[in-house]
Amino acid sequence: MGDEVREADGEKRVEAPTNQDNLIMEQQRQIEEEISEAIPLVGVKEDLLCALEKEYAADPIYTMKAKDLSSKYSSIRRMRPDGNCFFRAFAYAYFERLLTNKDEYKSFYDIVSKSKDDLIELGFPQFTLEDFYDTFMEVVERIGGGEMAQDELYELFNVTGQSNYIVVYLRLITSGKLQRDADFYLNFIDGNRTMTAFCHQEVEPMFKESDHIHIIALSAALNVGVRVRYMDRGDSAQVIAHDFPEGTTPAVHLLYRPGHYDILYEH
Amino acid sequence: MSEPQSALLLRKQLAELNKNPVEGFSAGLIDDNDIYRWEVLIIGPPDTLYEGGFFKAHLHFPKEYPLRPPRMKFMTEIWHPNIEKNGDVCISILHEPGDDKWGYEKASERWLPVHTVETILISVISMLADPNDESPANVDAAKEWRENYAEFKRKVARNVRRSQEECM
Repeated sequence: MGDEVREADGEKRVEAPTNQDNLIMEQQRQIEEEISEAIPLVGVKEDLLCALEKEYAADPIYTMKAKDLSSKYSSIRRMRPDGNCFFRAFAYAYFERLLTNKDEYKSFYDIVSKSKDDLIELGFPQFTLEDFYDTFMEVVERIGGGEMAQDELYELFNVTGQSNYIVVYLRLITSGKLQRDADFYLNFIDGNRTMTAFCHQEVEPMFKESDHIHIIALSAALNVGVRVRYMDRGDSAQVIAHDFPEGTTPAVHLLYRPGHYDILYEH
Repeated sequence: MSEPQSALLLRKQLAELNKNPVEGFSAGLIDDNDIYRWEVLIIGPPDTLYEGGFFKAHLHFPKEYPLRPPRMKFMTEIWHPNIEKNGDVCISILHEPGDDKWGYEKASERWLPVHTVETILISVISMLADPNDESPANVDAAKEWRENYAEFKRKVARNVRRSQEECM
């Protein structure tokens, strides 16, 4: 209910409570955006141990884990914490790998070039789907053309429009996989949501954070193994690894810290 | 600098709507030099109280479109539970997911990057036919719709008449 304000002339005015809420929400979003925009969409490659030791100087547990991590990985590439970090990290790390891996490129190209028709068949609207698909494939084709260099990929992923379109398209591929194999994936979601509702709420919208189920579905859809290293407050001295899908050889290595993903590079 | 992706997509949608018009509305730009501001004319859906009306509305697209939704405002006066008295349209498809304030709505109807002007207007037209009084934007209209339907009808009939006069 709105607050009643009695005016001097005795007339009652009811202030809509929503306006205040709107303002607060809007302000909160602006603050979040400002923080997040200070960090590039995709960062530069940094020395892992230096970067993490600096960050956790006063934190013995994390320092120990950073040491463990550095025995396997040499570098880290940070992502903007905007809720899209898993998808952006996945795309960047994998595209980077494809720059120098022609055989794998071929099979990846075959899978993604078919993906649009699969999604249309599932009922995705062709008009908008095409727009995201075209941008995505333009980038994929440039990678395969052999003329793209590391720093071009880096620049491209830091152009908001293109970078975000790639994220949208990966979200759609993930959603498509979840809906196609809904019988299996329904076991992993809670509540009474249908898979389509889950995808509309948690997968397709931009800036929505990813969970295990997103990673499993995307890695399965594109046949790309992902190894996630979990760095948290747990007791173990080691940084636990999870492979998606289970048993595959990882092509992409990511570091997970609560609520956020970054890219890792092996020695 | 080339044109941002959002402008290209909007241009493509406008061309598509002009080539293959969708029943129930027409769309154009408010100012030919600004692709981010559209004017649409919605024809009151048949078999509803709004039948026969011509309702003008503006759509304002953010630069981040289609990642974020546009805002919509009726310029023609319209009495409806989900349209604020100043014309702002309050409908779930125009909200991003995750805004707790809208928790009472089915989140599945929220904004998604695959939505288009067409899907927005189809939702708005269906809202005209079928108001959602669970989450009103115009509390007085919602109350009247529930409790004094005759008066509600009378106000809408006046909207329709006025909109026809304005269109002539």
